[in-house]
Amino acid sequence: MTADASDLSLVQRVQHGDRGAFDVLVLKYQHKVVKLVMRYVRNPAEAEDIAQDAFIKAYRALPQFRGDSAFYTWLYRIAINTAKNAVVARDRNPVDFDLDMTNNEESYEMQGRLKDSETPEALVLTDEIRTTVNAAIANLPDDLRTAIVLRELEGLSYEEIAATMDCPVGTVRSRIFRAREAIDSRLREVFEGGLGRAEEIG
Amino acid sequence: MSNEELDSQLSAMFDDELPATECELLARRLARDEQLRGRWGRYAAIGACIRGEHGVRLSAPLASKVSAALTQEAAARAAPATDRRKPGITWVTSLAGLATAAAVAAIAILWIRAQGPVLVAQSQSQSGPVPNLAAQTRMAPSTPVTATPPGAEPSAGQVAAALTRPRPSREPDSYVVPLAVPQGPALVPPTELANYIVAHSVYSGPLMRRNALSALVGEDAAAPQVITLQPIDATVVTGK
Repeated sequence: MTADASDLSLVQRVQHGDRGAFDVLVLKYQHKVVKLVMRYVRNPAEAEDIAQDAFIKAYRALPQFRGDSAFYTWLYRIAINTAKNAVVARDRNPVDFDLDMTNNEESYEMQGRLKDSETPEALVLTDEIRTTVNAAIANLPDDLRTAIVLRELEGLSYEEIAATMDCPVGTVRSRIFRAREAIDSRLREVFEGGLGRAEEIG
Repeated sequence: MSNEELDSQLSAMFDDELPATECELLARRLARDEQLRGRWGRYAAIGACIRGEHGVRLSAPLASKVSAALTQEAAARAAPATDRRKPGITWVTSLAGLATAAAVAAIAILWIRAQGPVLVAQSQSQSGPVPNLAAQTRMAPSTPVTATPPGAEPSAGQVAAALTRPRPSREPDSYVVPLAVPQGPALVPPTELANYIVAHSVYSGPLMRRNALSALVGEDAAAPQVITLQPIDATVVTGK
């Protein structure tokens, strides 16, 4: 088994002109990239814009990707450089707001508010998702919960988890899958049925 | 392959724990299967929730934005490519246009050559001999002028009468009545206009003054009407 084999297979599909495969990569790494960019900019909307630019740059540069490093390592570098450049460009050309405000502090505060695209509804929805996921994890059997937390929070490989939990790798794979399925079914139950937000399920 | 087995593979692929050969098959399916991709996206959201990452959504606005931007970029790239395919057609079109223009020009030249002697003869008969301008320069505008049909030369008697007719002593020498002048509707009564021009001629150059008066007198000749100029100081009119 090759590490990063799944990413590589998707990358190869993109290199052969399959745009859908790139969508899969974006879906997988969008949260990580936004989190990474948030180290450089505080504004979530700006971070999303920078992350979008980073993905577009990655797509353009993908034909030159040889697979010498993991895809995420490569994407990570692109995202960091894009964020740094965006910060430099923003500092050089601060956004002019045509507001009749003489107080600089007031103007700065208003800029922050105007840029923030996080609507109250979006924030509430994110909280609802998080609450649902946490509740679903709390209801999981211990072995499933430990497996998913070791994987997602600690970032351990299946082999490392197997060593930690003293079980075969196949069992780890099954436990993680079952944990995900339980959480996913709870999410779909809440957002498709209960709250009527089918569009949020994607 | 059962759905559960497929989902298990998907989960393992998400964690980079699926063998490469299986990855290739599943990657192909993932790229096409919308439902499977939705599940993949939710797996990512679950992981982000567990890690406490910011702004977790089950829909994928960022992925949609990236996809839309790339589609737009591809469309923009495709447009010049389509234009690049056109030059062949454009080349043929412009060549056909050029050939048509050349054919029309050749026909026109041949026709003009064929009609040449006839046209020259017609134009000569219409224009007539060149009028004797020197004889006309002495005609005063204050004299009643009758319209001379175009192309007809004034008779020697007319010219002599005009020359021998007594002129007002203060009449300037510069008023010229051409034989043929452009005829058009006058917006201002010619007499008033003539008076105005003469009275203000001190401010204009001799050439301008002469042209304006010539036009006025010529118009009157076509009317026919007599222009009576107001008595004014000749020194002012001629500027002498």
